Amino acid sequence: MQPPELRPSTGLDRQAEKLSAKLAESTTRLSFLGRLGAAALAVAGGSAVAAAVKPDEADAFHLCGHIWTTGSCPSPYPPLSRIDRKGFPLHPQSGRPIDNLGRLIDSAGYALDGSGNRLRGPDDEVLPPAPRTRVCEDWTGEVKGLKDLRIQGSWFRCCGGQIRKLVDCCSFSRRRINGDASLTGYCWGGRRVYCVMYYDTGLPC
Amino acid sequence: MLETFTPAVCGSRKRQIVAQVIFTVTAVATAAALGLALGLAGELLGAKHAVLAAASLALVAAAREAGLVRFPLPQARRQVPERWRFELPLPLWASGYGAGLGAGFFTFQPVSTFWVACAGALALARPLPAALCFSLYGAGRAAMVVWPRRRAADPTAAVERLTRRRGALLRANALALVACAILLALAPAAGGATLVATDAYDPSWSGGSLAYATRDGRVVVRPAGGGPDVVFANASEPALNGQYLAYKDDQGIHVVRWATREEVASVQSTMVSDPALEWPRLAFLRRDPEFERLVVRNLDNGTNAVHVSVKPPTDLGRPALRNGRLAWHVSSRKESRIVLKSLGTGVKRVVARSEIGLLKDPALYGARIAWVDGRSGASHLRLGWVQPKMRKVKTLETMRARTRAYWTTGMGGGFVYSTRWTLASGATSIYRTGL
Repeated sequence: MQPPELRPSTGLDRQAEKLSAKLAESTTRLSFLGRLGAAALAVAGGSAVAAAVKPDEADAFHLCGHIWTTGSCPSPYPPLSRIDRKGFPLHPQSGRPIDNLGRLIDSAGYALDGSGNRLRGPDDEVLPPAPRTRVCEDWTGEVKGLKDLRIQGSWFRCCGGQIRKLVDCCSFSRRRINGDASLTGYCWGGRRVYCVMYYDTGLPC
Repeated sequence: MLETFTPAVCGSRKRQIVAQVIFTVTAVATAAALGLALGLAGELLGAKHAVLAAASLALVAAAREAGLVRFPLPQARRQVPERWRFELPLPLWASGYGAGLGAGFFTFQPVSTFWVACAGALALARPLPAALCFSLYGAGRAAMVVWPRRRAADPTAAVERLTRRRGALLRANALALVACAILLALAPAAGGATLVATDAYDPSWSGGSLAYATRDGRVVVRPAGGGPDVVFANASEPALNGQYLAYKDDQGIHVVRWATREEVASVQSTMVSDPALEWPRLAFLRRDPEFERLVVRNLDNGTNAVHVSVKPPTDLGRPALRNGRLAWHVSSRKESRIVLKSLGTGVKRVVARSEIGLLKDPALYGARIAWVDGRSGASHLRLGWVQPKMRKVKTLETMRARTRAYWTTGMGGGFVYSTRWTLASGATSIYRTGL
C-alpha cells in the first residue's frame, strides 16, 4: 500500500527552516545538548512534516536538504547561503543576483531600487557597482582568514518541488565554521567540509 | 513648604494664585536653565561615552529604587528657607522657592531619578531639547504645589496620602528607570553622534567652519564661531580649506574665498567633479567615457598630475586632501580598498581592503583617516591611522539596517562628520562623532 502523497505545507517548511536555522546559528560547538535539541527538533518537526511529505523529500536541520550540522558559509543573507552556478550570491527568496551588500543588481552589477531602476545616491547620481564575490573562496576566506577554500563535493535533494544542489566549501582546516572538528563529507584531496551553500536548479522533482 | 501656598499665608485666594504662578514660572525656568547648561556641557564634552554611562547609571538607580542595593544620594537635606516668607515680599520668596526647587540640587532627594535625568541631559548633548525635558521637571515640582490644594483643604493631608503609596511609587520609578536605561542604550546617540544638519550631505570641515551640500542644490558654509551661513546656489560637492571653498556646478569646479565670494580659480569642464582642496592643491575626478582619473592641480602654477586611472565601472569616489596626503577609494566588483598617498614622497599604501565590504569616501585629519565600510545589513564608520606602522582600525559607529547607510565623511576639530542616508526616501543628515 502506497503512503499518501501529500504536498508539504510551504508555511510549515518555512517555519521549520527558520526555527532550525536559529538553533543552528546559536550552536557554535556541537555540544551534547545542541545535538539533542537539534535531533528533538528534527523529530518533532520532521514527524509533522513527514506525514505530509512526498517520498524522497529531504528533512533539514537549517537548510532544506542539509541533514548534517555544518553551518552555512557567510553570505549577504545568513544562514541562507544561496549561490549561482559559479558560487556568487543570490537572493535566497527570489534567486536573483545580489551584490555583497545584499542589493538586487542588474547584469552590469548596478544596484536596483524597488522599481527595478538603478539605485541613485542623495546626489542623484547612479551608484557605482559594489563588490560581488564568491561566497566560498572570497567571503568565507576573508571572514575566517582562510586562503585554501574550494568548492568541491555536492549532493542533491528535492526541496520545495525542485532539485537543490547542496555544496561543500572545503578547506584543509581541521575546524569547521561551527568551531568544532570538521568532517570529510564530500571533499577530497585532504580537504574537509568548512561550510555549506546551496544552488537551486529549478528542475522539478 | 506646601502649606506656604495657602490663603492663610498668602493673605487671600488671589495672592495664593499669584504665588503659585510665580513659583511655577520660576521652577520651570530654573529647571530649563539647568537642562540647557547640562546639554551644553554634554555638547562640549562629546556624548560618545556619556550615553552608555547614563544608561548604566539608570540601571544602578533602578536597582536602588527596587531595594536591591543601598547607597546614599548626593543631596542637600534641607527645606526651603521658611523665614523668607516672613522677611521677603511675596514675588521674591515665591520665585526664590521656585528657583530652589526647580534647580533640584538644593533640597531633599527622595529618589535617584533626578541624577539620572542630569546624566541623560549631559548625554543628549543638545542644549535646547535638554532644556525642554528639564522644564518638565520644574513643571512637576510646581504641580506638587498646585495639586494637593485641589484635592483637599489641607494640602499636607493630600501629600501624606501620596506618601502612603510610596512603595508602589518606588516600584513604578524603578520600572521607569529600567525603561530609560534600555532607551538610552539603544538610542542612536549611544554611538556618540550629534546631529549637525538635516537634509544635508558631503560634509567638509576646516578651521572650525563646516561646509555641506543640500538636496535642493546649494552649498552652505557654517562659519566657525557662529554668524550667518554663507550660501552658494546651484552648487554641490563642497571642499573647505581655511578661507577657500571649492565646489562644483554646471560649468565645472570653482574655488572661491567663501566669505567674500571672490573666485580665485576654476576648472572649466563638465567632466570634472568631487573636489578636495588644500591650497594651492586641488584634487578632483575627471571622468570621460574610457577612464576615470584622479587629478591634482597646482592652482599657483597650473600643473596637473594624474595619480590614478581606472576604467569604469570601477569607481574612485570623493578624494580627501590634507597635510600633503591624498586619500581615495577604489571600488570594483572584485574588491574595494582605501588608498593613501604622500604627495611629497610619492609613497602609496593600502590602508584597508575588502573583497566583501564596500569601503568608500575617506576623510583625513591629522594622523587619522576615516572611511565608510558598507556590508550586507550594516554600515560602519571606521577610523585608522595614516602612519604605516599603526595598523589598528577602530569602528566608531555601526548602523544595522538595510534601509540606511553612511554616505560621505569629513573630519576635523576632533570629530568625524558623516552623512547618514535613508535609501528609500533619499533623506540625508550630517552627524558628528567624537574621535
